[in-house]
Amino acid sequence: MKFKLENTDETLDGAIVKSLGNNEFVVKIRNHERNLKLLDMNHQKIEFMLDNSFHTAKYIESSTSKITLVVDGVKLTFNKRPDMDKIVYKNSGMESAIDSQINLKSQIPGRVVSINVSQGDSIKKGDVVCVLESMKMQVSIKSHKDGVVRSLKIKQGASVAKNDVLAEIE
Amino acid sequence: MHSDKIKNFLQKKRQAEQSGGEEKIVSQHEKGKLTARERIDLLLDEGSFTEIDALVTHHYYEFDMQNKKFFGDGVVTGYGTINGRKVFLFAYDFTVLGGTLSEMGAKKITKVMEHATRVGCPIIGIIDSGGARIQEGILSLDGFASIFYHNQLASGVVPQITCSIGPSAGGAVYSPAMTDFVIMVDKLATMFVTGPEVVKTVLGEEVSFDELGGAMSHGKISGVSHFVAKNEYQCMDIVKTLLSYIPQNSTEEPSIVDTGDDPNRLDNNLITIVPENPLQPYDMKEIIHSIVDNHQFFEIHELFASNVIVGFGRLHGRTVGIVANQPMVLAGALDIDSSNKAARFVRFCDCYNIPIVTLVDTPGYMPGTQQEHGGIIRHGSKLLYAYCEATVPKITIIIGKAYGGAYIAMGSKNLGTDMNFAWPTAQIAVLGSEAAVRIMNRKEIETAKDPAALKKQLVDNFTEKFANPYVAASYGTIDTVIDPAETRPAIIRALESLANKRERRIPRKHGNINL
Amino acid sequence: MIEKILIANRGEIAIRVIKTCNALGIKSVAVYSDEDVNSKHVKMASESYHIGPPAPSQSYLNMEKIVEAALNSGADAIHPGYGFLSENADFADLCEKKKLNFIGPSGKSMRLCGDKMLCKDAMAKAKVPTVPGSPGIVEEVEKALDIAHNIGYPVLLKSVFGGGGRGIRLVHDEKELKQAFELASGESKAAFGKSALFVEKFLPKIRHIEFQLARDKHGNAVHIFERECSIQRRHQKLIEMSPSPVVDQKTRDEIGQLAVNAAIAVDYHNAGTAEFLRLDDGTFYFIEINARLQVEHPVTELVSGLDLVKLQIDIANGKEMPFKQKDLKVNGCAIECRINAEDTFLDFAPSTGRIYDVNIPSGPGVRVDTYLYPGCSVSPYYDSLMAKLITWGQNFEEARQRMQISLADFYIEGVETSIPLYRTILDTKEFISGDLSTDFLERFKILDILRDNLKKEASQKSDVALAATLIHSEFLKTRVRAHKEQSLRWKAQLDRN
Repeated sequence: MKFKLENTDETLDGAIVKSLGNNEFVVKIRNHERNLKLLDMNHQKIEFMLDNSFHTAKYIESSTSKITLVVDGVKLTFNKRPDMDKIVYKNSGMESAIDSQINLKSQIPGRVVSINVSQGDSIKKGDVVCVLESMKMQVSIKSHKDGVVRSLKIKQGASVAKNDVLAEIE
Repeated sequence: MHSDKIKNFLQKKRQAEQSGGEEKIVSQHEKGKLTARERIDLLLDEGSFTEIDALVTHHYYEFDMQNKKFFGDGVVTGYGTINGRKVFLFAYDFTVLGGTLSEMGAKKITKVMEHATRVGCPIIGIIDSGGARIQEGILSLDGFASIFYHNQLASGVVPQITCSIGPSAGGAVYSPAMTDFVIMVDKLATMFVTGPEVVKTVLGEEVSFDELGGAMSHGKISGVSHFVAKNEYQCMDIVKTLLSYIPQNSTEEPSIVDTGDDPNRLDNNLITIVPENPLQPYDMKEIIHSIVDNHQFFEIHELFASNVIVGFGRLHGRTVGIVANQPMVLAGALDIDSSNKAARFVRFCDCYNIPIVTLVDTPGYMPGTQQEHGGIIRHGSKLLYAYCEATVPKITIIIGKAYGGAYIAMGSKNLGTDMNFAWPTAQIAVLGSEAAVRIMNRKEIETAKDPAALKKQLVDNFTEKFANPYVAASYGTIDTVIDPAETRPAIIRALESLANKRERRIPRKHGNINL
Repeated sequence: MIEKILIANRGEIAIRVIKTCNALGIKSVAVYSDEDVNSKHVKMASESYHIGPPAPSQSYLNMEKIVEAALNSGADAIHPGYGFLSENADFADLCEKKKLNFIGPSGKSMRLCGDKMLCKDAMAKAKVPTVPGSPGIVEEVEKALDIAHNIGYPVLLKSVFGGGGRGIRLVHDEKELKQAFELASGESKAAFGKSALFVEKFLPKIRHIEFQLARDKHGNAVHIFERECSIQRRHQKLIEMSPSPVVDQKTRDEIGQLAVNAAIAVDYHNAGTAEFLRLDDGTFYFIEINARLQVEHPVTELVSGLDLVKLQIDIANGKEMPFKQKDLKVNGCAIECRINAEDTFLDFAPSTGRIYDVNIPSGPGVRVDTYLYPGCSVSPYYDSLMAKLITWGQNFEEARQRMQISLADFYIEGVETSIPLYRTILDTKEFISGDLSTDFLERFKILDILRDNLKKEASQKSDVALAATLIHSEFLKTRVRAHKEQSLRWKAQLDRN
């Protein structure tokens, strides 16, 4: 299977060659066969030996097209289907961490201190949509694009969680 | 040995894999669509796909068809695994004769559906088809009919999921409609019984393909589509996530997943979500998110009839089906669309041994001629029927208002609900205080010296006496009034007490739900 | 003598004070909100008292509740830590009224120090140079615009009651000043209960250098060297060190004396810090006295050999400091990195949640002050400082290398941290050569370098990551427990009814 390291042009080839039982596998990475032994697994994390060195990995997010993990403390994302990306994204936008579509999502949990726009307002990218208070800091949430405020999903004083939709901007 | 025969075999195999040929594949890609085999590759675990009937061809000869023979005949069928779960699938192949359905194509599809039903595995269909193969005429139509027949044979036996990633028109759309869940990919999928050209000819109405039967139209307006996927990747993700919540077949329960979320987790914020003023709306999803494991709620039919919320969540690792009113939309009132949406979902959960958790905050049914003449009586009865029919564990929590018929419909005790909880903020009554007083005490108010003051006094009395959960609790209709912070542990404990629930019903062919 | 101290704080500083209490045989009393029920400081103290719901205003800022807990526990002293009530003169007065020994300066000198305007006046009289800016508080945004126009942009909009970098906003033009006036006002109200802003000229390429002060009740006053805290973001310190690369002994003596004079000018007692700005040409301007023990005090402890919390308690007990200025000598070099729960690339937005795993570095010359333990939580109600990593070396380079190794060893799972940012900063030639300033991050485009470094790191780990990806599905299978008797039930099933 081909994988592409996100945000780079690097592609790698990899596959499971065979399972030796007892959580041990032979894998092929960049045309080299290597031995992989799973040592421990819990909740979201695994510990394993790749040949003679010890590693940890935590799975953050996995979908049909991508997987994000933290390996030995380093976070990275693979595109699992680099060849298909061009075709699939022809009619739709790329999924990106900051939703490039209508929803303006909150990156942090917090309490809504003020709402600085109204429904129907025309705003530009970077304009302050609202101010959240979190950890004694006031953080202004700015619009991710130019557009018109279609609706506001928050009330003054409300608590929002990370990734909650704050507003819809067309 | 046999080198000629081996060579011949390999050649045929390669040709079959080419489907409609290199040119057609390129054209498919240029439209921003993947081929059938690529989609199967995205959906199934690496290397798990076994194709069957790859060398099937049609045997038709009219209209010069004998010169247009392709291996597979426009549909790819077989089986494989998704995250280890065995599934059977068929995918229309648009590169072969536009993915049109022929007699042989239908035979392939029904073969794989029947195989799945025999062994108790889910069926997944990927639709990307020009519809009936006109050249084959009635053979094609009969082909569709046999697919529909097998849809019914499998319905309630094994889960059936349809991915609509291209056109689907005419009678062909009825197969997806008979399956349990339909996912449409935005801007690629269209479904309609009659296309825009005929609509224009017959009615003079001009409408685009997407507007008439695109993913958003069916996701928001008609409710035909349960999910609108942004692209093909997301479509596959939805299938995989959906399968993780449901069992393989109707004799099994969904798998238990180690979510790591404490079953005794309290949430002191829950009581703050419901405003003091019962007229003020709030987002029921906040409550749902707090209760389920890891705040993960898989919403179904998100865009349609959003005054009611349905979807799957996990409680202590076990799948539950959640039905809840949404006070933010139409004040949480029930109407035709929401009754249909909730009823179908409840019946699906009952088919597949998924307990149902109902969260209630509804002021009643939407009034008006549109609803009455639209048949709210018929449609509303479906939800009542569905709750009564379901023999899976049923748990209801009344969060806020629960008035009249809507109180009854949302999983009330005597519909066969096993456990009924209520928050201290619950208001269970035939009517809201204002409306009740207006009716019951009309004469007194009219003839009073100070009508406004008397009305207020009567309303306050009514509210204090009836608009609370304690009258119901005194009759045992509410089993327990709970501290909102303890909602999650309360439901989990109730579910555990209902683990091996069994209910007997008098045998009959099937009931006569008002359709 | 003080026998029992109630610590009116939480997190790592509460633990810090408890440690010294333990060393001195003094009993410790912890207070906690609903949010901190499982905190380490609660577990470590001799006694713990619940004081309210998570919100600071109802718990750690609730003076009456805290004093009540102190009296109930029989504590005879209160240590306020930093932040919260540590510079609240009303609180210091309340403690005095209730006969609780407040370990810090008096309410009166706190008022003087806390009011930056009054302080500036006092310094002017003591001939300590201060930064040019607005002559008083600015109540209206128009007046602020006016002053800014006169001094010239960029300017700093500061809260009179600010501290710890809060209530400070850098603005480059009128539009920004208007926006910032609202925000700074709100922030100041939220943190300190009131808002009063003033305008100051922003000086570029400045170094933030502060002097640790201590004055006992016998009239002895010393400075315990300087700390350089120039590497900041949003006017909050990230990295501190002692000694400063640009302060020689002569300057140390000179400015140290100014600092001591400042302390005497406001009749300051106990431990505190005098903050200065140093321009590129070597000029020092006095900013303010922080009337509390500071976050970065460990850096001074490591180069002086002193326990500053012990010093505070001794002074509060009325003891005379056992050393004179000439006895104090800088030994080696210490660097501190504030490990914050923040997402560097999201404009340092706070990152909260459960900490699944922690690995705390250790070794020669390595010290970590933290409240973290596997299973604890980083709360959205309080600030983002999770841990202080401090290293000491015989010289700057040794301290820097030990810091690099320790940062690489520091593993925190569950939130975004500023650790990768520090690893990048510590490797730059500018840091190594001591070319520091408060605009360090922007001047040397540190965030861009960090982005590149992370990309390189990811590339290096790609093989291992690929291996982990390949067995992802195997991992998923272990998470699922299917019901037993599945296929048997299917086969046995004849008819549902």
